[in-house]
Amino acid sequence: MAKKITGYIKLQIPAGKANPSPPVGPALGQKGVNIMEFCKQFNARTASQDGLIIPVVITVFSDKSFTFITKTPPAPVLLLKAAKLEKGSAIPNRNKVGKVSMAQVEEIAKLKMPDLNANDIEAAKSMVAGTARSMGITVEG
Amino acid sequence: MKKITVYTILPDNENFEIISAYLWELDPAGIEEVDTGLRLYFDAEHDPGEDAITATLEEIKASGQINDFQIMTQVIENRNWNEDWEKNISVINVSDDLVIKPTFKEYTPVGNELILTIDPKMSFGTGEHQTTKLMLLALKKYLHGGEKVLDAGTGSGILAIGAVKLGAASAIAFDNDDWCYDNGIENCRLNEVADKVEIRTCELNDISETNFDLILANIQKNILNQIAGGLADRTKSGGILLLSGLLGDDMEEVTDMYTRHGFTFIEVTEMQEWRMIALKRN
Repeated sequence: MAKKITGYIKLQIPAGKANPSPPVGPALGQKGVNIMEFCKQFNARTASQDGLIIPVVITVFSDKSFTFITKTPPAPVLLLKAAKLEKGSAIPNRNKVGKVSMAQVEEIAKLKMPDLNANDIEAAKSMVAGTARSMGITVEG
Repeated sequence: MKKITVYTILPDNENFEIISAYLWELDPAGIEEVDTGLRLYFDAEHDPGEDAITATLEEIKASGQINDFQIMTQVIENRNWNEDWEKNISVINVSDDLVIKPTFKEYTPVGNELILTIDPKMSFGTGEHQTTKLMLLALKKYLHGGEKVLDAGTGSGILAIGAVKLGAASAIAFDNDDWCYDNGIENCRLNEVADKVEIRTCELNDISETNFDLILANIQKNILNQIAGGLADRTKSGGILLLSGLLGDDMEEVTDMYTRHGFTFIEVTEMQEWRMIALKRN
């Protein structure tokens, strides 16, 4: 019989750096999940993505066991990194704070593809380019 | 007890991906997505203050990503968040003659079983994890008695304690996490090895001792790669290095790194997705 799901926990944590302090500790601890086990697995699985923020969705079962899936880093975070910016524009329509090339947009779109509701790479590129524009980042090319 | 500031941010829409990207500029320890908003967690020493959070949210508002927002601030104490899980820990049989148990579980050894009493609290090394089991099994194989051992990233101290109980003469066990010091000391006392295991809060560079007969490091790939030279400097010629916290995909890279630092590959052992590599210093 399938185990009963008691909840989902959604976190964003730097790759390879999960530790039992907040947010991991309180989020998992209150559901009785083995925090250290999660940290160990998350850190090993994301070690190769050092420097990126990784969204993770943890499914908790009634017997306190868990599974988790990691998602691709948020597109805005990837765009800021690609444009070498610390933050987006406060007035994106008027004040452009940086630029990315279409090749960079395509690279981000390919990385994000598994988590985007896009039929093909062109649609994914269009979504990423839209996010860039909404942050005041110009897409060139 | 360390204080943690939690900011719960309730924007008027669910464009959490963009909002969180802006908020990561404030360098929180992490972000939790809840039903109607985001929770940002900051250590007290890295807390930018509510004004900084508000200023960032005002920028997001000005950019048109949100129309309005609310912020709630809460200060909590960092504590042993693992308490609920700990209540369900059971006795762990690592092998026929090696058992790990928490203090609150009664267990009568059978035959010549060796018992490790570990209360893990907030440190790595609960005994449940496959990597801990792989390392303990390797210790049984590679310890012959009288060795000087170094345990890098000791967590609960379980491997250093296990090493001494399996015959090592002494162990230095270190970790850069403050939790581990008190927890390690407590576990050494529970196992009556406090005179043989020295727990330190420090980094590998702070370990001035060298010529260890056996070094243990159950951490993760990136850190193991970073400290390869430091571990090589501290392993005596012919000494053994046991590495874990590794997945199958990590094997080639880590083995190459340590081979370049003067180690010879002996074997890899595995349990589910996890691996342990044994190496010998040239």
